[in-house]
Amino acid sequence: MRPLDENETTQVFEKLFKFVGSNLKNIVENPSHEGPDPNPGRYCFRLQKNRVYYVSESLVKRATNIKRENLVSLGTQIGKFTKTGKFQLTIQSLNLLAANAKHKVWLKPTSEMSFLYGNNVLKGGLGRITENINPNDGVVVFSMSDMPLGFGVAAKSTQDCRKMDPNGIVVIHQADIGEYLRMEDEL
Amino acid sequence: MRKKQKQKIVLPPELPPEVPDDEIQVSDEDLQFVDQNRDYAGFVSNLDTKSITKHVTRVADVKDDALESMYERRLRKKSADKDKEEDEVEVDPVDALPVKTLDGKLYYRTVPSAAKKSETEATAASEDNGTATPMVKLTKAEKRAKQKKLRKEAKKQVKETAQSDEVRQAPQSEVLDEVKKELTAEEANEKKKYRLAELGTALLVDPESNIKSLREMLQIAKDGDHSIVILGLKSLLAVFKDILPGYRIRLPTEKEQQMLVSKAVKKTRLYESTLLTAYKAFVQKLIALEEQAVYKRVAMRCICTLLEAVPHFNFRDNLLVAVVKGISSQDDVVRKLCCATVKSLFEHEGKHGGEATVEAVKMIAELVKVHNCQLHPDSIDVFMSLSFDEDLGKPESSEVDNKTKMKNSKKKRKLVEPNKLPASENKRSRQEIISKTREEVKADYKAASFAQDVAERRRMQSDTLSAVFQTFFRILKHAMQSLASSMGESFSLPLLAPCLNGIGKFSHIIDLDFMADLMNYLRKLAGAGSQKNDSHHLTVSERLQCCIVAFKVMKNNLEALNVDLQEFFVQLYGLILEYRPGRDKGEVLAEALKIMLCDDRQHDTQRAAAFVKRLATFSLSFGSAESMAALVTLRHLLHKNAKCRNLLENDAGGGSVSGGIAKYNPYATDPGLSGALASVLWELNLLTKHYHPAVSTMASSISTMNTVGNQVSHSNISPQQAFVQLSHEHESFIPASNTKKTSNKRKKGCRLSFPISSASKDELMTLADENAVRNKLSEHFLILDNIVENERLRTELYCTNMSLKLCEQYRKQKKRIR
Repeated sequence: MRPLDENETTQVFEKLFKFVGSNLKNIVENPSHEGPDPNPGRYCFRLQKNRVYYVSESLVKRATNIKRENLVSLGTQIGKFTKTGKFQLTIQSLNLLAANAKHKVWLKPTSEMSFLYGNNVLKGGLGRITENINPNDGVVVFSMSDMPLGFGVAAKSTQDCRKMDPNGIVVIHQADIGEYLRMEDEL
Repeated sequence: MRKKQKQKIVLPPELPPEVPDDEIQVSDEDLQFVDQNRDYAGFVSNLDTKSITKHVTRVADVKDDALESMYERRLRKKSADKDKEEDEVEVDPVDALPVKTLDGKLYYRTVPSAAKKSETEATAASEDNGTATPMVKLTKAEKRAKQKKLRKEAKKQVKETAQSDEVRQAPQSEVLDEVKKELTAEEANEKKKYRLAELGTALLVDPESNIKSLREMLQIAKDGDHSIVILGLKSLLAVFKDILPGYRIRLPTEKEQQMLVSKAVKKTRLYESTLLTAYKAFVQKLIALEEQAVYKRVAMRCICTLLEAVPHFNFRDNLLVAVVKGISSQDDVVRKLCCATVKSLFEHEGKHGGEATVEAVKMIAELVKVHNCQLHPDSIDVFMSLSFDEDLGKPESSEVDNKTKMKNSKKKRKLVEPNKLPASENKRSRQEIISKTREEVKADYKAASFAQDVAERRRMQSDTLSAVFQTFFRILKHAMQSLASSMGESFSLPLLAPCLNGIGKFSHIIDLDFMADLMNYLRKLAGAGSQKNDSHHLTVSERLQCCIVAFKVMKNNLEALNVDLQEFFVQLYGLILEYRPGRDKGEVLAEALKIMLCDDRQHDTQRAAAFVKRLATFSLSFGSAESMAALVTLRHLLHKNAKCRNLLENDAGGGSVSGGIAKYNPYATDPGLSGALASVLWELNLLTKHYHPAVSTMASSISTMNTVGNQVSHSNISPQQAFVQLSHEHESFIPASNTKKTSNKRKKGCRLSFPISSASKDELMTLADENAVRNKLSEHFLILDNIVENERLRTELYCTNMSLKLCEQYRKQKKRIR
């Protein structure tokens, strides 16, 4: 386990910024109440075996006691670096993203399953959408009962969405909670 | 007819005085002139003087005796005049204007030199007046007027004599002049008023024949005296209102005028042209008078009444210009008149076929542009009375239908034609004839009927709508610019409130393209005041209005897309804290709560919980009206979002439902990040002890919501109604006087039992004796001061006691050590 270097940190923050915007500050400076220490520590990012984890400092301190090859994971995984060195967010970061998301989309009950199978979000399945979405913004997908289902990238702005026909793609799928079942081995 | 009557016998004019030839002296120059121009001047010698004198001196149809008597009478009259002139002092025309009889003779005002003579002379004068006028047939009205005038003159002369009897003559003549002038002015005014009345009634009875009297009325209205002019204008207004026909007058062209037409048509043409010229003069006069401050209100009133009564008639544009100018005038009366007129124009479109609406709206838009949005809010308020067809926003469907129909029909025709060609051509030609005649009939019917073409109407309405929205966007832009640019300067946005109202009303017709811009503007305006620098910001009410309008627009366009207005919720969350009861309008806040929180179907749980918590805090801090509104909203939210009900449980930390955030952050700006699910609604406990019974019952019912279940039917009043019910004006309950319950002995001396009966606030102040209140209050505060002093002294005493004890102990210890 090692902390992220400059390049990696910029990559991670860029990706996060697409989804959470100015709430990035909240993520980075979130006080953590874990551990015996009365003063809340902070959260930080650590890299272990090409995966990036979001951990509280108290936990990091204790995790240094474990040997590197024996450490499987710690805290919450938010993404991983591919072989070519690009950073990708994985589904385990959903809770963190959903709490701080700027752009949200709510799905109608009929099209929830379609998204959970890995398909893109069509306009006909759209229940609600926050305004001010621009193309290539990170969007978190919720069900109508406010449960986060996954996230993706916006294909069109909100304004264009109004005029689209019902079969147009609104959000391009990136990750969903169905992956816990489908891609259990790869996570 | 007149030739058969007795003709006026005109005596030949008097010959110039005879001068004997000897005394005539001709100057040398004249002689020279005649010598040089003999050709011209030669005719003089060829005159036949005798025949000329014979011609001149003969009088037709009069016998000798009569002739003699006539000559004698003439001489007598001359002498009488001379006598009169000798006796009386002629008044300078500058002081008192002469009177002109119908004959055309001028009678100068004269002051009677001798008191006794004046009476007889007055009668003589009136007699002469009577005989001097020609024997023309007078209309009854004119006779009446003349008789009235005569009577008045006689009366006046009598009055004058009475006055002159009492007063000395020479030094008082000037005073007499002035008095006479006033009297004559009054008399003249009275006469003019009667004249106006007569002309007016005559016109109303039979406008066609008496149309020329309009000119006279106009003439009277040009008088110098204010009251006469005003009366003239008003009577003209009444006449025109009734006379003007229900159609626009189009004057006949050159060609038409040359055509031979029947008498009736000529008569109508004449009538119409006179009417039109008179009306034109009237309108011009009104518009000219409107500039002058004296006549402003009267002229405005006339213009407004005319516009309301006959908006279809000619010169409507000029009237409209004047009215629209007056819409933003400083004068309250004028402004209200104009606004009422414009509103009635908008509402009664049937009278003028919609064109006036378009023009008026365009003119108002111009006005806003010119004045850079600094007008009185009433000027935009008139837009609220506009109404549009419901399907104005969807013109494409009909066009598409038409197109498809056209295509279909074309296809059918193409298919049909080749088949029918071999068939009989007679049939086809007959069908063509039939269809042609049908179309002709249709066209005639359309021309005859006054129903408006649908397309025409739609075009006019879309013109109006675009002008209206142009104005609204201009106002919004101006607001944005002034917010952005002015740093520290105070600026006013008077038009913003009615503009927002208008947008809210017409939001369902707005085009989708504009909606993005509109939402942008609204978002910026709503967020304008949240900056820390207090130099420029919108008031809380205005920002609330922006949020409300944004939601209305969104709701009306639901079929387009259901957009979640995150930004506005953030603004509302902040505005609830910034609200101050005296400064901001509670009704606007209540409306905002209703529209944004109660009507909305779906809410983010965190967001809803955040609002619940903040509303509870809010209701603790303000009066009963706001508390009630907040509590109603609170209950509604808790009802809708079941997960928020764990706020009612005493479970700090939120347990498993708290979402991502473990601790409640009361000062968070974003409701989604406040962590309210981790808090508890302890405020409800305090609210159950509120002094107002309604608030306390509501609070207790909310706190037992989880346990009791939905058995108790909650009254579904909106926060606005709750607010109105409990606002101060309806303060009508008696709080239980809890003087016995105060066990606090310190406050014994200041018990103020105040049974607030249903008396209003003002009466309350007078009921309570101010002095008694003051005394009680001073007592109370004295006691408080004493208590504070007491405590301070006690603590000092305690301190000194402790230090003394310490000293003693120290000494004891020292002793022990020793």
